[in-house]
Amino acid sequence: MPITPRRLRETAAAYILLAPALILLAVWFAYPIISSVLLSFEKVNVFHYAERRFIAFANYRSLFEDPVFGSTIRITITFVLLVVPAQTILALLAALVVNGARRGRTFFRTAFFIPYVTSTVAVTAVFMDLFTVRHPLPRLFALVGLPDTSWYADVHLALPFIALIYVWMSIGLYMVIFLSGLQSISPELHEAAMVDGANRAQVFWRITLPLLRPFTFFVLVSGMIQAFQVFDQAYVVSGGTVLGGPAGATSTIVIYIFAEAFRYNRLGTASSAAVILLFVVSAATAALRSIFREEAAVAR
Amino acid sequence: MPVKTRSRTPVARAASLAAASLAALILLVPLLYALYASFEPVEFYGRFVGLSRLTPDNYRQVVTLVPILRWYLNTVVVTLIIILGNFVVNTPAGYALARFNFVGRKAVFALVLSIMMVPLQAYLIPLYLMVAGLGWLNSYKALTIPFIVYSFFIFLMRQYFLTIPRELDDAAEVDGLGKIGTFVRIALPLAPSAIVTQVVLGFTMTWNSFLIPVTMTNDPSYFVLTVGLNTLKSQYYDFPTVTMAGVILLTLPVIAVFVTFQRFIVPSLASSGLKG
Repeated sequence: MPITPRRLRETAAAYILLAPALILLAVWFAYPIISSVLLSFEKVNVFHYAERRFIAFANYRSLFEDPVFGSTIRITITFVLLVVPAQTILALLAALVVNGARRGRTFFRTAFFIPYVTSTVAVTAVFMDLFTVRHPLPRLFALVGLPDTSWYADVHLALPFIALIYVWMSIGLYMVIFLSGLQSISPELHEAAMVDGANRAQVFWRITLPLLRPFTFFVLVSGMIQAFQVFDQAYVVSGGTVLGGPAGATSTIVIYIFAEAFRYNRLGTASSAAVILLFVVSAATAALRSIFREEAAVAR
Repeated sequence: MPVKTRSRTPVARAASLAAASLAALILLVPLLYALYASFEPVEFYGRFVGLSRLTPDNYRQVVTLVPILRWYLNTVVVTLIIILGNFVVNTPAGYALARFNFVGRKAVFALVLSIMMVPLQAYLIPLYLMVAGLGWLNSYKALTIPFIVYSFFIFLMRQYFLTIPRELDDAAEVDGLGKIGTFVRIALPLAPSAIVTQVVLGFTMTWNSFLIPVTMTNDPSYFVLTVGLNTLKSQYYDFPTVTMAGVILLTLPVIAVFVTFQRFIVPSLASSGLKG
């Protein structure tokens, strides 16, 4: 495009308006993100920061040799697999009943969304109280064979416990996405199918669910991206003792990064884990964006 | 908006209404329990007592056991600085991207989009080192200045300004208002809903934020409520009802703001699927 006097004036005005944002991004985003990648190739001690030196891939090697990191990856993947199907199905069911109720949609949308805007620290504190040994909920679950114990302190139950908290908080968010999907489906389609003799189940499986596909896809992938980064719930359940407790059962990847960096002062390995997180999350987000753009185009 | 589902029978609708009410109840029970327990005398903890036994003692206790009023002040100050800073920095940036045909626009916009993909956790360590190097640990500066620019808000404001007819701006410019004058006098007053969205989202995210303050502070005088509640819970686990009072004090402002402004923030949160 040719640079006309008008375009020059617009350029000057634009950069005046953009300057604060660009300067802050350079200082508080570009610089630390580059440092993060550099740190992952360096041996560094927080108390002798100036004496850091380049050690190539040694941090990555020790990361992959660390059995704790291996179990961290397993725990994070287990967490994602516990959370994503549960929250997707429950959010879809919630959207279907709220959409079917017709009345009070705003009320339900607000009520379902409140857990999502509530502090994770507060919610985890409440759930820890509810799931303490001899309180009603562990006793209730004891009826189906689970031990009557404090869930957050049990090696086998701690991860399902934070998954439960996580799902409870996120249903509202994903319900709203499904709700907007359901409202984009023309009711004539349902009516035509009913006139043709389809029952409710057939309408759901043959019409509603296929038409919701882009929304379901979005909920699944962005749900995975978010769940992968879980931190608050896992931090709070360890209650100020060793992070990732009990016995490492809730040591998710962000907990691992945090503990390596700020508890054990191993900034290099922590940074290499952070760089892996960076690649996984941004690649998944980029893929979601490009695919979702296509899906949206098809849906239109 | 609401779609007419004529094919549904009144029975099916009533069943949906009942199911939705039950689900809403299940989702709200933990918070209602926290509210109840926060007024329960600690000696009755774990049992149900009549409403007449309830007392505000736990709230009195929490104020004396921990500096929760200081944490409240910290949280309010940090939140105010961030939402004000967000507004001042991200709004004009979004406007420039929406309105001006400037050299480098595509590159700047691509940059904003790609920054939105990067999780904070990926650069938390260098951020901590920078803040520590500046001597900012345990200060309001550490909790606010790095988080004033927020690429998602730049994007949000750009999307909104794209929906305002350009003719209004052009007319104002012809009338002799400069480009920046047009932004301040014409475009901003047309964007109240986008501004409210940004402010309320910034409020909820900052108020609930935990990872950043737990990294940047270890002096209880600079704790925000989330970090303070976490230590209260661990230190005074013998007083669970006092923790519940803390839970209510922490969550009530956000829930109140959310319920008041939910129509502004639910759609944009849903479309982005993010949480700070």
